[in-house]
Parts: sequence; C-alpha cells; structure tokens
Amino acid sequence: MDFAVWFIFLSPLLASPIALVTGMRKIRLAGIISSASIAISFILSGYVYLTIGSSTIHESYSWFANLSYGVYVDHLAVVMVLMVSFVSLMIHLFATYYMKEDPKKHVYFAETALFTSAMLGVILSSNLVILFLFWEIVGLCSYLLIGFWYFKPNAASAAKKAFIVTRVGDMSLIIGLAILYSSLSGTYADPLSIPTLIGNAPAVAALIGPGKLALVTIFILGGAIGKSAQFPLHVWIPDAMEGPTTVSALIHAATMVTAGVYLIARIFPLFLDSASFSLYVVAFIGAFTAIYSGTLAWVMNDVKRVLAYSTISQIGYMMAALGIGGIIGSAGVSLALYQLVVHAFFKALLFLSAGAILIALMDLRDLREMGGLWRRMPWTVSLMFIGAITLAGIPPAAGFFSKGAIVDASWSYYVSSGYNAAHILPWAFLAFGEFFTAFYTFRMFSMLALGKPRSYLAEHARDPPKYALIPLMALAVLALIFGLFQTSFYKYLDSGYVAFSAPLMQEVLVYVLIAVGVIAGISVGTGNRWKKLDTTGNSAYKVLKNKYYLDKLFTNLVALRGILPLSAAFSGFEYRYNSANESTGHDVVRLGSALRKIQSGIIENYFIVLVLIAAIIFLLVEIIGGSL
Amino acid sequence: MIILGIFLWVLLSALIAMLLKERSSIFTKVSSLITLIAIILYSVVRFSSGYTGGFVSQTNIALSQSVGIYFSTGVSGFADSLLILTGIIFAAAAFVTDKKLYPSSMFMMIMLTEAGMVGLLISRNFLFFYAFWELVLVPVYFIIGKFGGSRKDSVSLKFFVYTHIASIFMLLSIFALYSYYDLQYGVLTFQMNSLLQAMQNATFTSALPEVAKYFILFGFVFAFLVKLPSFPVHAWLADSYEQAPYPGTIILAGALSAMGGYGLFGIIFPFGRLIGTAGLDILVGLGLISISYFALTAMFQQSLKRMMAYASAASMGFVTLAFASSFLDPVKSENALIVASGGMFQIATHGIIMLLVFASIYYILIKTGSDRIPSLGGIYRDAPFLSTLLLGGLLASLGLPGLAGFVGEFSIIVGSFQTIGYWIFLLVFGMLITASYHIWAAQKALYGPYNEKLGKISDVSGGPLAMLLLIFTIILILGIFPVLFFGPIQAYAGGII
Repeated sequence: MDFAVWFIFLSPLLASPIALVTGMRKIRLAGIISSASIAISFILSGYVYLTIGSSTIHESYSWFANLSYGVYVDHLAVVMVLMVSFVSLMIHLFATYYMKEDPKKHVYFAETALFTSAMLGVILSSNLVILFLFWEIVGLCSYLLIGFWYFKPNAASAAKKAFIVTRVGDMSLIIGLAILYSSLSGTYADPLSIPTLIGNAPAVAALIGPGKLALVTIFILGGAIGKSAQFPLHVWIPDAMEGPTTVSALIHAATMVTAGVYLIARIFPLFLDSASFSLYVVAFIGAFTAIYSGTLAWVMNDVKRVLAYSTISQIGYMMAALGIGGIIGSAGVSLALYQLVVHAFFKALLFLSAGAILIALMDLRDLREMGGLWRRMPWTVSLMFIGAITLAGIPPAAGFFSKGAIVDASWSYYVSSGYNAAHILPWAFLAFGEFFTAFYTFRMFSMLALGKPRSYLAEHARDPPKYALIPLMALAVLALIFGLFQTSFYKYLDSGYVAFSAPLMQEVLVYVLIAVGVIAGISVGTGNRWKKLDTTGNSAYKVLKNKYYLDKLFTNLVALRGILPLSAAFSGFEYRYNSANESTGHDVVRLGSALRKIQSGIIENYFIVLVLIAAIIFLLVEIIGGSL
Repeated sequence: MIILGIFLWVLLSALIAMLLKERSSIFTKVSSLITLIAIILYSVVRFSSGYTGGFVSQTNIALSQSVGIYFSTGVSGFADSLLILTGIIFAAAAFVTDKKLYPSSMFMMIMLTEAGMVGLLISRNFLFFYAFWELVLVPVYFIIGKFGGSRKDSVSLKFFVYTHIASIFMLLSIFALYSYYDLQYGVLTFQMNSLLQAMQNATFTSALPEVAKYFILFGFVFAFLVKLPSFPVHAWLADSYEQAPYPGTIILAGALSAMGGYGLFGIIFPFGRLIGTAGLDILVGLGLISISYFALTAMFQQSLKRMMAYASAASMGFVTLAFASSFLDPVKSENALIVASGGMFQIATHGIIMLLVFASIYYILIKTGSDRIPSLGGIYRDAPFLSTLLLGGLLASLGLPGLAGFVGEFSIIVGSFQTIGYWIFLLVFGMLITASYHIWAAQKALYGPYNEKLGKISDVSGGPLAMLLLIFTIILILGIFPVLFFGPIQAYAGGII
C-alpha cells in the first residue's frame, strides 16, 4: 500500500471527527487540527509529485460485487492534489482568522476538512463509483457549509437549492454510469475502473458503439455541469454566497466547482473516442457559459455575486478548453488544467480579500455602499487588485496566459474543422467573454476601491492584521508569477504538447477587447451612470437583472407550477384511493348482513374463525394423509 | 441448532415479558439485546467466511411425517442479514418504549413480533412459514389497536384485514403447490426445499396446468407485494404507519417491511422466472411507478411520520424492480447478480435507515411535542445532535453515497439498466423528487429561524443519543463496507442465478 497517496485524503478525513470532538472541549484547537491535517495532505502531495516520475500509481481492492475501490495517480491527479491541498490550506489558515468569533467554528472546521478530503478523494479515486461517492460527499459538505448559518432563512434555502440542483446533475451522471456499467460488465472484471476505461478507450468505444458512448459522455457531462455550475445548472451558485466567505472560497477555488472539469479530464479518452458531437457539446456549453454569465456579472451589486458569476464564466473557459480538444487532441486537458490552477489561485485570493473586506464592513456586501476602500484598506485591496488583473487577463498576471492560450486554441479548433461555421462559435464566445470579464471585474473593483466612500462603514474600514493576510500574499505571488510555468505545466501533463497560435489579427482583437473592457469597467464603476440604470426601466437591463429569468423558470415554472401541483394531484389521488379502499371494505361488511355478528370488530371472534378453519384444514389434510 | 436456540429464547422471552408485569420493560430491553448479540455472534460464526450460498443450520424435526409437516430451519446469507436487521430493530424498539407510557403487554407484543420475525426467517417449511407470517400480524394489530392514534380502531382493522386477505392467497398457493406435488410425486410435504426444487424442475412445471401455475405464482406475489407494499396494493401503509405508536412504527417500517422483500427474494426467487416476461414487465412497471408515485405523494405530506411512510414505500419500489429485472431477458448474469443482490441489500438496509429516521422523529416529538413539519422549524439551534441525526437518517434514506442506502440503489440502477432502458429517467425522476422533499423537510423542520412557539426544548442526551449514534454508525459502516452484508447476499444470489 502506498501510504503517502492514501493519506493525502485520509488525513483530513480522519481529522474531521477529531476536530469536531476536540472542538467541543477546546474550540481553538479545531482550526489548528484541520489546518494541520491539510498541511499534511499538501506535504504528501508534494512528496508524490517528487517521486512519481513518469509512472502512475494504481492500487485497488474489491469493494462489493464487481466494483472496486482504490487510488489512481498520474500527472493529472498530482497537479490537482497539489493545487487543492495548497489552496485549501491557505483558505483554512485565513479561516482561523475569519471565523475566530464563531461559536460553532469546530463544526465549521470539521466540515471544511471533510470537504477537502472529499475533493481529494474525487481526484484520487481509481473507480467511478468511489469517485461518485466522494463527489456526493462534496455535495453534502457544500450543503452543510452553505447552510452553516442555519438560522438565516436565505442560507437554509440556498443550501437546499445547491443540493437539489447539483443532484439533478448527479442523476444524469448516475445514468451515464448505469449505461457504462451494464454494457461493460462481463467483458471487464472491474467495469467502472478508471484505468481500465481510459486504458482501453478504443475497445470500450467499439464495444458500446461510438454513438452510444457519446450519449454516455453527455450524461456524465450532465453531472459535471451540475457540480461545476455550468449553464443551465449554474443557478445554485450565486445563492450559495449566503455561506461564510471562506466557504465560498473553498467551493469556488479548490474543492467543488473544479470537480466537474476534473471528471471530464479524468475520463477524457472516452470523450475522445466517442462520436465527435460529445466534445462539441462540451465546447459549446463551456464557451456559451463563459459569455452568458459574463453578461450577468456586470449588473450584480453584491460583491460576492459578481465573483460567483465570474467563477461560472471562468469554469466555462475550462470546459471549452476540454471540448475543443475534440479536434486538437488531448491538449485540451493541459489547457483546461492550467486555467483551473490559475483560477484556483486568483479566485481564492479574490474571495479571501472580499472576506477581509466584509469583516471590516460588518458583512456589508453591497458594492453601492462601498467605494474608496483602496485608501482605507491598502493591503487588502492591493491584494484584491492582483486577483482582479489576473481574472481580467491582464499581463503579466497568469490569467493572461491561461485564457489567451485557450482562445488561441479555439481559433485553431475553428481552422482545423475546415472553417465550419458551427465551430467558430466557441472562439467568438470566448473572445468576447474576455471583454465581459475585464468589464465586470473592473466595474466591481472600481466601485469597491476607487472614488469616495459611500457609507459610514466604508469610511471606517481598516485592514485586518498583517498575519491574517499572509495566505493571501502567497496566493497573490502565485497568481502573478505562475505564467512563467505555462509551457512546463503543459508539458508535464502532455509531453507531446505543441503551442497553438492564432493569426495576429485575432490576437490583437482579444487584447483590444480586454483593454476596452477594463476602460469601460472603470468608467462605469467610478461614474454615476450605473446608479441611473437601477431606476430607469431599461428592458435589456431588466432581463439581465432577472438573470434571463432562468431562476424564475426553475423555481416558478418547474418547481412551483410543475412538480408541486403534480405532487398535490398525486396525494389527492392517494387520499381518494385510500378512502375508496376503506369504503369497499365497509360495503363488503354491509353486504354480509348474515355474518353481521362475526363482523363485530371483536378480534377474538376473528381468531376463533381462523383457528376453526385452520383446524378443519389440518383435519382434512390428516385424513387425506392417512388414506394414502 | 444455535439458531433454533435463539428462536426459542425469543419466544420464551415473550412469555416471560408477559408474566413479569412490573419489570417487563427492563427484561425486554435486556433480552432483545441478548438476542441481537446472539444473532451477531451466530452470523460471525456462520457467515464471516466459507459461506458459498445455499442454507446453513439446516435441521428437520418431524412433527407429522405422513403429511409432511416438519419444523425445519435453514438460514441463507440473505435471511441472515435480515436476522441481524430484526435483532437491531427490536432491540431499538424495546429501548425507545417508555415503560411509563406502555403496560407490560406492550413489551410482550414486541417480543412476540420478534419471535414471529425470527421464526419466519429461519423456517424452511411452508406451513410454519405461513404460521409465523400470520403470527407477526397479530401483535402488531394489537399495538396499533391499543396504543395507536385517534383513528386506531379503523386503521388497525384495515391493516389486519388488508394484509390478511393477501396472506390467504399465499396460503391457497401453498396448498395448491402441496397438492400438485402430491399428484406428481405421491409425497405429501410442506418442506420448502422439495417444493421449491419442484418448481424449478421443468418436468414438474410443464405438467402443472397453466391456471394452477399462475394461481400459485399470483398468490405468492400478491401477498408479498401487499406486504412490501407496492403500488397499487399499499392502501394500508400510510395510515398504519401514522396511527401506530412510534415503537410500532419502528417495527412496521424497520422489520415488517422486510417481510415482503424476504418473500420475493428468500422464498420465490428460485422460480421467479416462471412468472414470465409479461408478468415480470408488470412488476418492473409497478416498481418504477412505486418509486415516483410514492415520492410525489410524500412530497405533499405535512406530517414527518406520514412523509417517511411514503418514503419507505418508495424505496421498496426498488425492491420490486430489482426482483423483476433479475429475470428479464436478455440480462447478463453479472447484471442479474448485482441487481438481485442490490435488491436484497436494499431490503436489509432500508429497515435500519427507517429505524434511525423514525426513532429521531420520535425523540423530536418527545422534545417538542410535534412531529408535523409546519409546527417545527429551526430546532437545530436547541437540539443540534437530534437534528443532525435526523438529517443523517434523511440523507441515508435519499441514498447518499457513503451511507447504506446508496449501495442498494446504485446496484439496482446499474444492474437494471439493461432491462428498463431509458425508463431509467422515471427512476431518477423519482430519486430526484425523493432528494427534494427530504432536503425540503430538513430545511423546514430543522433549519431556518427558530419557531418560538415551541418554547424551550432540550437536545437528546445519554442513552437515546448513544442509541441513535450507534444506529447511524451501523448505517455508515454498511455504507462504507457494504460487503459485510453484500458478501453473503451475493453468495446466496449467485447460488441461484
């Protein structure tokens, strides 16, 4: 047994109950125990990174039936565990400051340790069933943590929404697994084992048929869409901002939304060998989500919601990167993973600095009440600025390289499709998505940091103590310098990686879009025009404010006008069916007027009859038996 | 012989509990605990290694050889998992029964029901199987009728008559099978082994008149479907669960719900294929309808108890589905094996999950005075342990991986895909609704602002807390090491498929 690998996820898993129980006695210890366990995960991940070389580690044991459990580590998994354990550690360290006043922080730290452990489990699982198990525990932890402040009605309802919406995706995933299992059992001893699936992808495709396999992959994509908050199952994530900000950081950067991207990257060979429309769907959904939520983020006035929509959009880039791998080979995985890691650094940074600001502002989240914070909280806001330029894709920050490469690759995707019109859509969405990203990021940042304070709280905001900002500084440094490792990162995941390039015109167009976005964002954010938009009844603005009515569609139309009346109708029928059953019984009783005495409801009488009948039957049987 | 000893011990305990009057409460608690420990030790000895299917602990005591009445015992891997379930359920039911609220007759009836359950699970003679099947009904009838809610009289009668009618059909099937066996082989026997073997024998079944064959099959299947219960023969369920006192509900949902499933998988499983494609298709349909129908009905209930009654019925839909799809062509044997084992696993774990849910709701009722969703709210604030444990039960019931409910459901889903095809959408629709109302109920009852009308409430502590934690731990262990049950069950299923 390779203990180093197993303890990457076992360490926080074991720490979780320990933190809970010791926290009941000594509440301060909970945060230390959780953080230490994740530090161990990080150290072990580093050890595995150093020792794995170019091999893979695979250990599996029988779980039940012909399903197994175990670990499977290759370069993809190594990169992920390093990122998750590091970012989660930074968030935990900040949380010891952020949550220090909370009376239930031992519960919090137990849950975040479990959350991290579940995500590490998703990454290391060697079998899709076990991956699904951890996948659902990730969902459970997000449910518990979003609803951590359970007394807030919004938090309780956001937690419910997150659970149910991701559950929709999970059901899709389970259908995919069912088809995969029922087609492969018998042929393979361990039909859902990941190494088996990715090692024999062409054979699997031949066995199932490329068309049906594409269907399987699309069902699996459905699960990824739910967990990674892609269109149309992204509706849970903006509401999920009701949880503590450090939880948002965990969900968005390290432990949840990247799981969907990782799942697709994990079984990418299946996507490659299935009919080509499956990867086109991935590319399209990713690219569409990137621009879709980019358009929504700029009308939000809640700082955390802006960040939430930016996550949806940035994950869209990762999905698109995976999808465009359909034509350009498995390089999609490298592109997506690089964006994923960079995103984890800057999104954790943004959320943690937002958390520091929210503490200073007594949990005031409305951008309209902020302003001028750069002067009042110079350290925090400067760190946030680094996050913002990385998000917006401005050099030299790493976001410029990670997204630029994806946009370039999407152009190659279009070119290699033979200039097929449908294949230009990903490029168009992603390139214009760059504009929106720059725009909403700098609108948010300038509303928050520039100008004059617009509330008493903003006027009196102060930086948190410097030690609390150390994790943020570490993240900021990585966000700034990680661009240096771009090529070596790609090569680590895919040794045959060749860089993509787009024609100069397209490159320049993207730079111009980013620059225009930044300027527009700053001018909107510092000016007064955004105030008017709220009051004037601009219909396009209204559509955006209502998030394209998609939330309303789900909650009003599907849940309130679809499922609930259906449920009412069924229980109404059930009630009538019950009474009909009872009245049939009564009618029978009435019909048997001759037997009125027996039907008196006195149970002893029933028993006399029962015993008599049994006795007669025995007698008969005995007589027949004797005659034979 | 060990298992016979356990059975006699339970039967004896029922008598002692009746005689003891004052101390029957403590006696029942201890004796049901001893039973549980004995069953677990027995299982470890017999099933932890070396079990390869079939029946162990076979004994035959001839009572009336000429007509084939024996007291025969035999325990399969599946029956053993249900024996453990029975031990757990009744120990817990005895534990939650407060002696201040119930007279000694209540404890006697709990033990008598347990005796019936154990007898039912170990019997390998149809006559005794039937006798125990009926024996279980009687004390439960009294539990509902004497200690139930406001509509106890009509509900207990309905429960008794409904399930009794179904059992009569089974009795007739048994007699029919008995007579035809005599006709062909000239031997009178109620022995299950002989009769079941005959039903698997092509020469025997082809000599059976078609009518008789379907009559026999119908009697069994009907009795078991009512007991599960499956749509549309479920009308006794919700009222009985709701009107029964909580110990009764725990017994009904935990142990008695396993009877129907045991009938399907433990009794008629070897000749299930005889039902024929059309009949099996109907069963698949009933299973799928049950899952969605009960889920949608449950969603609208205001009482936690009634809601979970429907949830219990919905998870039994998986059992019907599993049973039928393990025979439908063109199933690969691997898929049939996992779906059948999953169905049996589902039966066993469902009882434990329902135990946790109903026991937690019972303590919520004791602490707050209400088990209706609208009159609760925010009780997590004052009762965090109780709320978390109920949440744990709800999560297990909706099939969260890591907890026991997932293993059965997952096996059934992946194993049945080949027979149900894209009807799987109906299945996952049901599961989605299930998840929704479970989480919705948790949100309304446990979280959100505290309902100040409840006044000051206290959390569970001491014995009840330890018991609930223990049950949750069992669910967790079975979710992580399902092979504890799954291994023997799969060996049993493998011996038949």
